[in-house]
Amino acid sequence: MEILNQLWQIIVHLFTESGFSKLPWQNYVMVVISFALMYLAIKKQFEPLLLLPIAFGMCIVNLFPDIMGLPTTEMLTLEQMKALQLDPASYTTTVIDGITYYNHTEYGGLFYYLYQGVKLGIYPPLIFLGIGCMTDFGPLIANPKSFILGAAAQIGIFLTFIIATLLGIFTPAQAGSIAIIGGADGPTAIFVTTKLAPELLGPIAVAAYSYMALVPLIQPPIMRALTTKKERSIVMGQLRPVSKLERIIFPIIVVVIVSLLLPDAAPLVGMLMLGNLFKESGVVDRLSKTAQNELMNIITIFLGVTVGATTSGKVFLNLQTLGIAGLGLFAFCLATACGVVFGKIMCKATGGKINPLIGSAGVSAVPMAARISQKVGQEENPGNFLLMHAMGPNVAGVIGSAVAAGVLLSVLK
Amino acid sequence: MNNLMQAFILLLAGFIVVFVVLILLIIVVTLYSKIIVAAQNSADKKKARKTTVNVGNENTAAAAAVTDDEEDEDDGEIPGEIIAVIAAAVDAVYGDRPHRVQSVRRSKTSRSAWSRAGVLDNTRPF
Repeated sequence: MEILNQLWQIIVHLFTESGFSKLPWQNYVMVVISFALMYLAIKKQFEPLLLLPIAFGMCIVNLFPDIMGLPTTEMLTLEQMKALQLDPASYTTTVIDGITYYNHTEYGGLFYYLYQGVKLGIYPPLIFLGIGCMTDFGPLIANPKSFILGAAAQIGIFLTFIIATLLGIFTPAQAGSIAIIGGADGPTAIFVTTKLAPELLGPIAVAAYSYMALVPLIQPPIMRALTTKKERSIVMGQLRPVSKLERIIFPIIVVVIVSLLLPDAAPLVGMLMLGNLFKESGVVDRLSKTAQNELMNIITIFLGVTVGATTSGKVFLNLQTLGIAGLGLFAFCLATACGVVFGKIMCKATGGKINPLIGSAGVSAVPMAARISQKVGQEENPGNFLLMHAMGPNVAGVIGSAVAAGVLLSVLK
Repeated sequence: MNNLMQAFILLLAGFIVVFVVLILLIIVVTLYSKIIVAAQNSADKKKARKTTVNVGNENTAAAAAVTDDEEDEDDGEIPGEIIAVIAAAVDAVYGDRPHRVQSVRRSKTSRSAWSRAGVLDNTRPF
């Protein structure tokens, strides 16, 4: 009987210590949401490289919140140390009012330490380094007017900022972080949010990557609604070949101009251009390969799981998150629309030489947005190849969103 | 009201700064591209002139072929540059013994461009 009693007590103790009795209902809802995101990542292949780690981080933090636990230091007296059977000799001491206290440190959870790379703004510029190594700025150099379309798409960011401020439920810093979702650039959104509104990092990062994954669904209806069949059928002339020297000089010039005019954008643009210089110079092949493969993959894993780990149930499941999701979608749609409208203006200005569809690619989301321009263009004219033309505004959008981020940071920080 | 004012100021500042920075980049990129393209064109011309002279000195046959061909170019024949390249290739292979390129003719292909494309497509390993 005694044995059965003790066994029962152990079972009760295990149950009270388990997640079933400790976790609030919101955590379970978040676990279900994480399953849905895993489904989208694996089955539908929506941005799986980031959505899968984010979803898994979301799942694990809601089942075991201590994995994001902060490190704590407890001051114990000598008696308490002895009671806990701890060796006082291996602890540092603090003397208060003549009493010696031993500093007993409990280390934080695994994700807490990995999260420092996000919190300190280290991971997003490193991701940009890898993106720089993979980006071909040739179409942009061949047709520098594409920069206008990259700038136009950023209008969505600033208009959304106004709307978010008018709603009155967000501070200006929070509104700025939400608006940057319109840039359709995950690392930029994370970089800005960690500096302006770190408390909103989870919902903003999830919204940004979700909308980037949904580019093929969100953009085409807007593009079709704003253009005529004739405009969509415009065939653009071939781009001129770009010499190696032009490609090498480009990142150096961009980093000089942007860093001087907008120092807050320097970490993102600087690393993007460093990566591109690695690629174009052709003399540091090893560094280029490491930055775009191993380093990028490692950072992507750390960034994904730790961003996912910021979405604990109590923080994530509220009206604010719904507001962020709605405003983020609005920003994204607006950015697409602004790009297409500017594309139409450029089409008129050049006497019909520019297909307005390439304007939508100004929202970054490389290379998905450019592929969408190509796809929608080919629906009207199967012989029309807009991909390389759309890559110009697409990579200009990356620079444009980093510049817009610099503006938000310099004004709102 | 204060927030709204700040938001409008940021909207204007954002528009202006983003456009100014990117327009500045357009100007700079366009300018340096023009300079580089112009510099490379003049360098290419100089190089081409040098090459013609060198080929003429080292291989009289090639020079003759180029000269002959330059005369024929207007008639829709093989361009002089192509002849020079072919002569240089021949020189690279037979350079150690006396040789002369007497004529260069286009070879007749048994298949049309379309049928060659079809063969290529069907015989591509993957």
